Amino acid sequence: MATKGAIRPGRWRQSGGKTAWIPYLFLAAPLALFLMWVIGPMIYSFYLSLTNWDGVSAPAFIGLRNYVRLFDDKIFWIAIGNNAKWVISFITLPVVIGLALAMVLNRDIPGAKAIKSAFYSPYIIAPVVIGLIWGWMYQPATGLFNSVLNAVGVEKTPGWLSDPRLATWCIIAAAIWRQVGYVMTLYLAGLQGVDPSLIDASQVDGCNFWQTFRNVILPLLSPVTVVVVVISIIDSLRSFDLVFVMTRGGPANSSSVLANMMYIEAFNNYKMGYGAAIAVVLFLITAVFIFIYLWQTLRTELEY
Amino acid sequence: MQSKWYRVLNVLAVFVMVAMLAACAAPTPQVVEKVVTQVVEKEKVVEKPVEVEKVVTQVVEKQVEVQVPAAPVTTMVYNSYQSDPAPRAADEETVKMFMEKYPNIKVVHSTVAHEDFKQAIRAYLTSSQPPDVMTWFAGNRARFFIDKGQILDISDVWANEGWNESYPKGFQALSTVNGKQYFVPTSYYWWAVYYNKKVFEKYNLTPPETWEDFLKVCETLKSNGVTPIVSGTKNAWPAAAWFDYLNMRVNGPEFHINLMLGTEKYDDPRVKKAFEYWAELLDNGYFIENAASYDWQDVLPFMLQEKAAMYLMGQFVMDSIPEENKADYDFFRFPIIDPAVPIGEDAPTDGYFAAANAPHPEAAKQFLAFLGSKEVQTYVAEELKRLPTNTEVDTSSFPEASKKGMELLAGADYIAQFFDRDTTPEMAEKGMAAFQAFWNDTTQIDTILADLEKERALIFAAE
Repeated sequence: MATKGAIRPGRWRQSGGKTAWIPYLFLAAPLALFLMWVIGPMIYSFYLSLTNWDGVSAPAFIGLRNYVRLFDDKIFWIAIGNNAKWVISFITLPVVIGLALAMVLNRDIPGAKAIKSAFYSPYIIAPVVIGLIWGWMYQPATGLFNSVLNAVGVEKTPGWLSDPRLATWCIIAAAIWRQVGYVMTLYLAGLQGVDPSLIDASQVDGCNFWQTFRNVILPLLSPVTVVVVVISIIDSLRSFDLVFVMTRGGPANSSSVLANMMYIEAFNNYKMGYGAAIAVVLFLITAVFIFIYLWQTLRTELEY
Repeated sequence: MQSKWYRVLNVLAVFVMVAMLAACAAPTPQVVEKVVTQVVEKEKVVEKPVEVEKVVTQVVEKQVEVQVPAAPVTTMVYNSYQSDPAPRAADEETVKMFMEKYPNIKVVHSTVAHEDFKQAIRAYLTSSQPPDVMTWFAGNRARFFIDKGQILDISDVWANEGWNESYPKGFQALSTVNGKQYFVPTSYYWWAVYYNKKVFEKYNLTPPETWEDFLKVCETLKSNGVTPIVSGTKNAWPAAAWFDYLNMRVNGPEFHINLMLGTEKYDDPRVKKAFEYWAELLDNGYFIENAASYDWQDVLPFMLQEKAAMYLMGQFVMDSIPEENKADYDFFRFPIIDPAVPIGEDAPTDGYFAAANAPHPEAAKQFLAFLGSKEVQTYVAEELKRLPTNTEVDTSSFPEASKKGMELLAGADYIAQFFDRDTTPEMAEKGMAAFQAFWNDTTQIDTILADLEKERALIFAAE
């Protein structure tokens, strides 16, 4: 995105047709690996989703039966609903909080570095560890949240992860805690690219802070925002680790997401074919956002 | 205009992200060469009761003939799910004993966490270099792999070791498919209601034998501010124990086993009746609050602190109770609801098998023979207080708890393995999610059972 002025491979071609094949030579090895380890298994997953493979016997072709069953599966719709909760939460809260933090911490206030590090630190902790830590905090009898609630005199404390209505939101809260620092860092990097003279100019023109932010900074940050939103969507659709560690999708599948459901069907219930069908659906949903992203980035690149 | 290269890279980078998702479900399958087109002559293994009373001391010391292969040293692989501290130590010691006895076989021993092992075993068995010997569960869970030709036929080990005499018929049946033996059952344990004796003494309670007494005990405890029953159902299997026992006590073990095998229906009024007993306990608030927040071990401190009294659990619960507190704990048979109904008990059997294409089948058989021997079973029974399957093991010096456990099983008319071992893995998963849903809202019972029946019909139609 920020490669203005870098040497463009296009110049090579201008220097003579003879060397035009050289980039392909360098690409051959990674492309071969990419085909073998990424595209190959992907296509194979599509094929498996049309079979009844159990992971041990030879797969038998059963047409679209996995999909028919999937769309009739209550858990599938619960998981889709939960994925939607994840996406909506992820593209709002962490983005807004991350941007606000970046705006505040971009100035030279004392201790800004320490605060930045503090907000970023959850992102370097492994998600499994975050799941465990938050799981302990949510423990109904001895956990942090209920201990605090008890201390301030709340009688009826919630069950958190064991309450089907709360479980998903509890997991999302842990995920947001992790995501905020990452979004903040992306925005801080974006703010470095904002030309201070534009801000000065807007102030000379009499803009207050809000007007400057709304009409100068935010539009200049829009490429970052696109990246942040798309990464957030992909991260939220990919959510698995926290769910698996904190509730394993329970109680009674109430916090299940597609990736978790896929794992349980494929690896626990020995239904690889059915699991592959879920993976394909998840892939298609993700692909929609990927194409929006690509379309966006290609378009903005043309504008420059 | 930006370069095309840059764009191509962009596209690739994004695809990598997506592909991570899709690739998850696609471990390269080994198309199994030995596709077993087997006549499904379903032997209902579980229906045969384990003959527990046959545990008799045999005084005759049998000299086991072992053919020690000449050097060089063979290196074989043994994968185990014994990941809890106490069983793990015993497991490691067993391997050490084996290598001392057979210096020309080196055992590479790796331990995988219990739940992970269940997922990993299919990858082990279908790989071209499977581990030679693995721990596994008897019954339906073992049958799944035996039927698919993944497990080594060890009939010769059974014959050479004389196990056809020294193992009770029930365990022989658990290990035999179409007249051949594939499995070495080595230990089993009982399920019962464990309780803290101090709490019972404090409120002048005695272990209940009937349902009415049980309810009275619960009521007394609750009115004194003690949680009558704990359970940690984050992983749902501890809840399944309640279903197993209530269904067996209310409807009898035969109906229960048929339900497990998919020949009875979940929307049967009899199933609902079993759930109504469960609902009575839940609605009265006899169970610990927020059970689904806890792993099964997480609730033990409540019992230790005398804030809670009872826990329906397998004998292995004692592994997780501190040594100095063990004396405070005892167990009683799950209360009888209808005296006219035959008594069923859960007594899961653990053991070992070898992969059909094990790289070192001879060493594997040697190891299996050792694991099933009197020597090892005696050691494991002493260390872990599990019950030995080999009748040659001298049980006269066993501690009181083990004798009481053997008595409990001897008094049973039927022995079941456990919910998630008696039915198919998929049905078990759906069933246990249903138990969690029921636990959370007992009024939803009709919807829950209707959904479960829909799953059962689909799952067993596909079999």
